Formats: sequence, C-alpha cells, structure tokens
Amino acid sequence: MQDKDGEYKEIFVAEALENYSEINRLLTQIEKRPDDLSSVNALFRITHTLKGNAAGMGFTGIAELSHILEDLFAEVRDGKILLDTQQFATLYKAIDVLGNLINAIKDGTEVKYKGIKTKLEVLLKRSKEVSEKATASINRQDDSTISTDTTIDPLTSTNPIDLLAEDADDVIQDEETKVSFSDLVQVPVRKLDNLLNLVGELIIEKDRILASQLGNGLNASNEYARLSRISSDLQYSVMDVRLVQVGFLFNKFHRVVRDAAAIEHKNVVLKLIGTDTEIDRNVLQVISDSLIHLIRNCVGHGIEQADERVANGKPAEGTIWLGARIDTDAVIVEIRDDGKGLDFERIKKKALTQGLIKAEEADKLSQDELSLLIFEPGFSTMDNVNAISGRGVGMDVVKRTMNSIGGIIKIASEPGQGTTVQLTLPSSMAVKSCLLLELSNETYAIPLAYTESVISLYKSNIHKAGGGLVATHLGKNIAIVFLKDVFDQRTERSAIHANLLQSSFDQIHPEEKLDIVVVSFSNRVVGFVVDKLLQQKEIVEKPLVKPVDKIKFISGVTILGSGNVCLVLNVPHLLNFIFSLTANGKVSKNFTLN
Amino acid sequence: MEEKKANNNTDHRMLQIVVFKLGNEEYGLHIDQIKEVVITPVITKMPQTPDYLKGVANIRGNVIAIFDLEERFGLIKNASTESAHKYTLVVESEDVKLGLLVNEVPNTISVNRSDLDESVGIINDTNTESNYIRGIIRSGDRLIILIDIFKVIDQEMTQSTRKTASVAA
Repeated sequence: MQDKDGEYKEIFVAEALENYSEINRLLTQIEKRPDDLSSVNALFRITHTLKGNAAGMGFTGIAELSHILEDLFAEVRDGKILLDTQQFATLYKAIDVLGNLINAIKDGTEVKYKGIKTKLEVLLKRSKEVSEKATASINRQDDSTISTDTTIDPLTSTNPIDLLAEDADDVIQDEETKVSFSDLVQVPVRKLDNLLNLVGELIIEKDRILASQLGNGLNASNEYARLSRISSDLQYSVMDVRLVQVGFLFNKFHRVVRDAAAIEHKNVVLKLIGTDTEIDRNVLQVISDSLIHLIRNCVGHGIEQADERVANGKPAEGTIWLGARIDTDAVIVEIRDDGKGLDFERIKKKALTQGLIKAEEADKLSQDELSLLIFEPGFSTMDNVNAISGRGVGMDVVKRTMNSIGGIIKIASEPGQGTTVQLTLPSSMAVKSCLLLELSNETYAIPLAYTESVISLYKSNIHKAGGGLVATHLGKNIAIVFLKDVFDQRTERSAIHANLLQSSFDQIHPEEKLDIVVVSFSNRVVGFVVDKLLQQKEIVEKPLVKPVDKIKFISGVTILGSGNVCLVLNVPHLLNFIFSLTANGKVSKNFTLN
Repeated sequence: MEEKKANNNTDHRMLQIVVFKLGNEEYGLHIDQIKEVVITPVITKMPQTPDYLKGVANIRGNVIAIFDLEERFGLIKNASTESAHKYTLVVESEDVKLGLLVNEVPNTISVNRSDLDESVGIINDTNTESNYIRGIIRSGDRLIILIDIFKVIDQEMTQSTRKTASVAA
C-alpha cells in the first residue's frame, strides 16, 4: 500500500510540475499578448485539472490555490478582468507559491499560501465589484458613486493589513525563481518499443555467440555468464519499465458502468480488486476494448432490473467486480457480476437458429462449450438491439483480441448467482516462453501458454476415428494430429483426400514412439505429433513481415542462437483450422482459412 | 539553363541495371530496387505458401521472405542444383523487403535509355493480370528482360492468398 501511495504521489508531482511550467509559459504569453484567448482557456483548463487532481490526492493547499486561480482565469476569459502589470506580478507570485507547494509534497516542508490566496480573492472580488458597479451604473447612475464608495472602502482598508503581515513571510520564500526538474520522465511508448526491440536483438545475438562458443570447450559458458546475466537483467528492466498498474485502466470503467447502467435503467456498482497488479502497457491497451465490451455485457445481460433482483432476494443494486491478479507468468483479469447468470437453454436455442451449431451436437455440448458460444461472431441472445448490447458484435471482438495476444477465455456461470469471465493474459507481449520442436527439419516454437503437457505414445496407442485420430491420455480422449499433415495440406493442394489427417499415421512404422505436444485453446484439446522435442526457451517474437504477413498458421518469427529463423505457431488458428476440417465431416468439403 | 540540363539528362540518361540469370535467360532489375547481394542464408520453410516462396531467412537481423523466380516463372532449372541458389539478391521497396535466389553474383550494366524497348507486345502468363515486365533491353547480343519485381510479388501474394482461402473448393 505504502509503495502504491508513493507512486501515485510521484506521478501527481510529476504531472503537477508539468502543469506548473505550462502555466508559467502560458502566463508569459498572455502578458505579451493579452488578447490571446486560447492561452487563457488553456490556463483555465490546466488549473481546473490541477485542482481536481490535488483535491483527489488530498493536497488542500494546491487545490485551494488552483481553485482561486481557475476562478480568476475564468473571469479573465469572460473579459471581466483586464490584467495589468501589477496583477501579473501577483499572478506570478501566486504561481511561484503553487510551484513551492508542489515541490513541498516531496520534502514535506510547509509553504504559506494563505496570503497570496487572499490577495487573489481580493483581486477576484474587486473585479466582481467593478463589473457589478458597471451594471449598477448603467441602471442607476446617481447612486453609483455612493455604492462603490461603501463597498470598496472596507476591502481596501481591511485587506492590506493582513496582506502585509503574510506577505512578509511569502517574500522570504519567493526571493529567487528556481528552475526545478521533475524526478519522472515521460517517454513515448514508441521509444520504449524501440528499446525493447533492441534488447530483443541483443538477446538473440547473445544466444548466437553462446551457441557458437559452445563447441569451443567447457569454459565458454563461464566466460559468457556475465554477458548472459547483464543482458537478461537489461531485458527484465526494460520490460519492467513498460509495466503499468491495471488500476489506470480499471478506474476508467466506473464511468463505463455508470453510462451503461443509465441507459439500461439499472442500479449497478463497480468494485475494483487488485488495481495495483502490474501488466505490460501494450497488453493493457489491447484489452481495453474487450473489457469495455465485457463490462457492458455484464450490465446489459447479467444484471437484472432492480425489482427483479429484489424479488429474487438480492440487493437492488447489482455489483460488478473487476479484478486482476498475477498467476505465475500470466495476469488474470476477472469480470464477475451477481446477475442472473447465463441461460444455457437460450444460448443453445439461439445458436441453433443462427446455425452456429447443429441439432445433433447441441445436446452433447457441455456448459463450458455452450458458454463459449457467446464469443462467436454475430451471436446474441438479445432479441432487441439497443445502444449497449444485442447487436452480436462485441463478444467476438473479445475472442479475436484474446487470440491475437495469446490470451485464454474462461467462463463460469451459476444460474441466479452471476457470471465470471476470466481472461488469462500474458504479463508481457515481448517475451514468450516457448517450447521448441522439430518438424520436417525445421524448428518451430509453441507458446507455453497453450501447451498442456508433453507425452509420448506408441503408434498402437493411437486409433483412427472418423477422419482423424484419437488417443487416450490420463483417462481423457484427445484428438491427435500430425502437424506435418496440416502443413502439407497446403503444398499438396491437388491431392487432397478424405483422410488427410491420417496420412502420416499410415506411413509410420508400427512400433514407432511418437512425441506429442498437447495443446489446448478454448476447450479444444489436440495432441500435435512432432518429429522431435527440443527445449524450452524464452523467445522474443517478431511480427511476420510482408509479403508473408498473411500466413495464418504462424503468428510470428524469432531468430535462434544459430542465426536461423524459427517460426512461432499460431495455436488458436491451427486448432480452428483442424476443427473446421473435422466439423465438416469430410476433409475436402468447402472450408476457408479465415 | 536548367531546361538544357534536363534535356541533357533525358537524352543521355543511362539506366543502371542489375542483371542475373534465371534459367537460360537474363533478367534485369533497376538498381534502385536492389539493396545488396548476400550468400544465401539458411531458409526456414513457411507453411501455407506457394512453392516458389522458399521461406524466410535472417539477413542481418531482418527476417525476410525468399523467392525463387525460376520456379515462379516456370523456367527449367539448371541441372546442377548443388551450386544453385548460392546467392540472394536483397531487394527493397518502401514497404517490403525480400530476397531473390540467384545462381551467380549478378553484374551491373549501364544501358542507354534508348536501348530499352518498353512497347514490346509480350505474351503474358495466362493467369496474370498486370504486366510485371517493364521492357526488353538490347545490349549487344544480349537480351535482358527488365522486370518490376514488386509487381511480380504483389500480384502473386494476393493471388495465393485468394487460393489459400478457397483451397479445394
């Protein structure tokens, strides 16, 4: 907790200092060109933000001072105050005090600001009097002299006294203008990406050197131990820089929930859990849209109307929990609501009418499989389209996003109790733990996020079933696919035959022992038969380059220690491909890769 | 003054052409499209690609796609496959970088612009839509086919994507 507060404070100070220097810049600009309305507007905005932030953090001094400044700039903006040299002096002084206040957060020194605040208040009040006077003078020219005398007199007579008293204190601190620097640096993400790319290349180069030295004797690995350590430290430092707290994103969802609930006329409250969990900034950016869809979905479909909730013995106000936690290599984001839960019968019915599933398989599908149907494109259980939900877009966006970053979706739903959507996200998109394997003399990598286990089976353990192969492992039946067959399918397009996925199986020796990597994605489990399992390795994945960037089986490439290119398998797509083959009964029936 | 200079340029502009052999024919690329010539690195095969796309390779830290134009153009391969494809010609445009396999180090020649015949009626591949042949260069006894490599690849990739999408349909 302490750390988190400290970090927020640090960020606030950095932002406030930035605001402070911006105010200074704009103010000098206005001094030169008093008619520059856009600068005045900017000043008004900045002081307004500063006020809000400071109030939120509990820095009353800054909040009060920027509040009065905001008011003042509002008057200037509306043309009620014309700033003269003297008033500029006061403003500069006020802003210096503001700067001191901000800096004081760091070292905890006390800064007097009441004096300058009063002075600004006087300025403000006087301008109001003047404008009032102006209006008054139009209305009643005769009385104007008297009224101004009476109102201004007490001001001018009382205020200078306490102003003088406090001014004396202020002067000591304001003697010289200091140039101060923030302890935080703002860096564009683009530069960070670039840095990470370079580190990635360094790692690849390191691997290459290590690999080339390996043959030269036993000392080699010792020699390069330091290089290895430094480069991996560097890598993790850069990755650490890119980590941000999920809270920054999560906090924005209060508004999303509020707006969605307002449209649906529901009472919904959002509770955040684990906001200090850290995740790669790019991952956070990529999933933000998905989270919006999921949360709107909770409000639209999950949470019931207040009267319905009360009738079911639930509090009238629905709750959505948005939580995050670290789970070894991954970050798990959970969206939970206490609404009515998924209506599996309805999903089944809708999926049937929309042709997503066939009648004969409908009854066989488990609840898990049914719940994943809501992520299919075009699927919606809503009969009416409204602003938030019912269009059938949205959930498939979530699925696509998860596919693209190697995330995993799980849904658990309890009728009447609510629904939990669990997203397992990689904590960093830069480095992936992968299993390297050999296939037809090429090296491929499978992200560990998808691999369940590695097994070896004899040919006799594997049986032909339908157009594919199955084997029993640990009491579970899993589909077995020779990865080679899938890849060959493209090259031998003229000779596609019904038992494509069995062709390698037919060719191998009856007593051959097969290495199998069991992968799973969205409830689909497949064992890939590979030629050879190599090793587990952290890789830096690079995107595919033109003109091969459309290839769906491969999600990216990495360069191995040998300097050779290694392809990273796109498991979600491979599984989709395989199941689209088998789902159509015959291999050679129309199917698309997309 | 400037006009004169421009005139001079068009009159005597020499074309710098990089010439390489494919099959028994000589093909040429404009030198602006060439980045470098390297010894062919280890090529990693890509699934879901046409045969003439040999795969991807690491050239100076960049992963680029490697093409075999002999296979693409359907030219008879040299009998000695041992020494074949020893070099890779790296070509680069604004948004794509790729490698072409060649059998020997290409040479560069300067030809007069007037030697380039752009208007020849060439019988195109029946299944290609746009013409990637920019013209024929006559240089002494030699006949060099000047091609626009990015047109070849562009066309091919869009076609093969379409094919992949409707495999066995």
